[in-house]
Amino acid sequence: MEVLAKIAFSVYTLIILGGCVVAVSSSSLVRALVGLITTLIGVAGMYLLLATPFMAFMQLLIYVGAVSVLIFFAVMLTRAEQGGDEAGSAPMKTYVFGLAATIAPAAILGWLVLTRPVASVAVPVEVTIKQLGGGLLGSYFLPFELISVILMVAMSGAVLLTWEKRGKK
Amino acid sequence: MSAFVQQLLVLIVAAVAAMIWLGINALVWVYCERKFAGHIQRRPGPFEVGPHGALQPLIDGLKLMGKQLLTPDNADAILYWLAPILSMLPVLLLFLPIPYGPVLTGMDVNLGLLLILAFSSFNGLAVLLAGWSSNNKWGLLGAARAVSQTVAYEIPLLLVVLAVTFMTGTLSLTEITNMQAGHIGNWFIWKQPLAFLIFLVAMFGETNRAPFDLAEAESELTAGFHTEYSSMGFGLFFMAEYGYMVVMCSVCSVLFLGGYHGPFPGVDGWWWMLLKTFALLSFMVWVRWTYPRVRFDQLLNINWKWLLPLATFNLLATALILKL
Repeated sequence: MEVLAKIAFSVYTLIILGGCVVAVSSSSLVRALVGLITTLIGVAGMYLLLATPFMAFMQLLIYVGAVSVLIFFAVMLTRAEQGGDEAGSAPMKTYVFGLAATIAPAAILGWLVLTRPVASVAVPVEVTIKQLGGGLLGSYFLPFELISVILMVAMSGAVLLTWEKRGKK
Repeated sequence: MSAFVQQLLVLIVAAVAAMIWLGINALVWVYCERKFAGHIQRRPGPFEVGPHGALQPLIDGLKLMGKQLLTPDNADAILYWLAPILSMLPVLLLFLPIPYGPVLTGMDVNLGLLLILAFSSFNGLAVLLAGWSSNNKWGLLGAARAVSQTVAYEIPLLLVVLAVTFMTGTLSLTEITNMQAGHIGNWFIWKQPLAFLIFLVAMFGETNRAPFDLAEAESELTAGFHTEYSSMGFGLFFMAEYGYMVVMCSVCSVLFLGGYHGPFPGVDGWWWMLLKTFALLSFMVWVRWTYPRVRFDQLLNINWKWLLPLATFNLLATALILKL
């Protein structure tokens, strides 16, 4: 089973990386979005591998089913050309900065994982939804509520911004 | 390792069975739909091919397969052909966790309900990709409508499903079925009548069926998101639509109508599940040929002003009653 898990891990990693490359490199916004969706599906696969199917399905339901569809809608509203507005090649400097921005967090995380390995179990244990809910409303009650406050602020902020623009007309 | 191989074999058999089941359902329901439509409109419907036109869908399928695959000019070819595949593939997975009988379950997942909801949300994405990549104004309009519609109708659907899972405390479709065993009084339709009605309406919105078929709207958008698709590109969308209908009706009969349990004790079996699913499907066809299409603002008003508050109220009421 361990070999199978490793194969699955590498397949999901390839899906995630492939999706990332498509998302960053394609000239058309919609193709980039498809790359992003591929990455999200790959991450859902990783959740499955970690024996958290609930998180995996929620990832698919919320990110693939709802968030990416909303991004798509935003792309359509901006009337992006199918050829892409930024289809031309960028200057070399942009690529260097992009690469640096990618490598820096990867290097820090990699160094941390290699030097201070986390004590982990060989086979992940499935966390039931009851445990998850108990954790969210028990020991992690304050962060959970704070996140909802942040979402509230973001939502009312979005409403406020569009309100002002409408008033100026 | 042998247990793993055994599981794999069961999964393969289940996947093949799901494909066959989907194919049969598409054939049967295309025929039934045309026949029902005919009789509702006082005409016989298809009559020439085979007895009472029974071979018509088979011949239509062959005709579809024989046609040329065309990609429109300036269309994004990769996304254009990805869309029908993305629409079709999840459907096969959706049949796996549905308990059609006491032993007739493809894969007993303890998060089966969530699996179905998660993978059925791929359809909205496929419709969007199809509409956008065909480089056609009708397609784009159909896709834009599909987005606002499926995203909107998913919310009340999720809320009523949540209300049912509040009562059961599980997301496994098999366990939900078993809680309704015994007699007709144990079915959840009596405990959650409002949720059942909301689910029925949201089901039409989610599957893009008339009177909520604004993503395709023949009279205004020719065919909406699949205007440009020929041959099996269109065929896949068509089969996926029937597949989603069958899945939604099966989930509805599991959640509210007791799944494979009969109305009185001692006669449980897959035939009840089949009867309930087909009754709901007939209801969907009946509604399609009875009511005219709603306007788009009406469609969204029904959702945001009626279904969503009602579903929220239903959820709060369920939680309150469970706590007391």
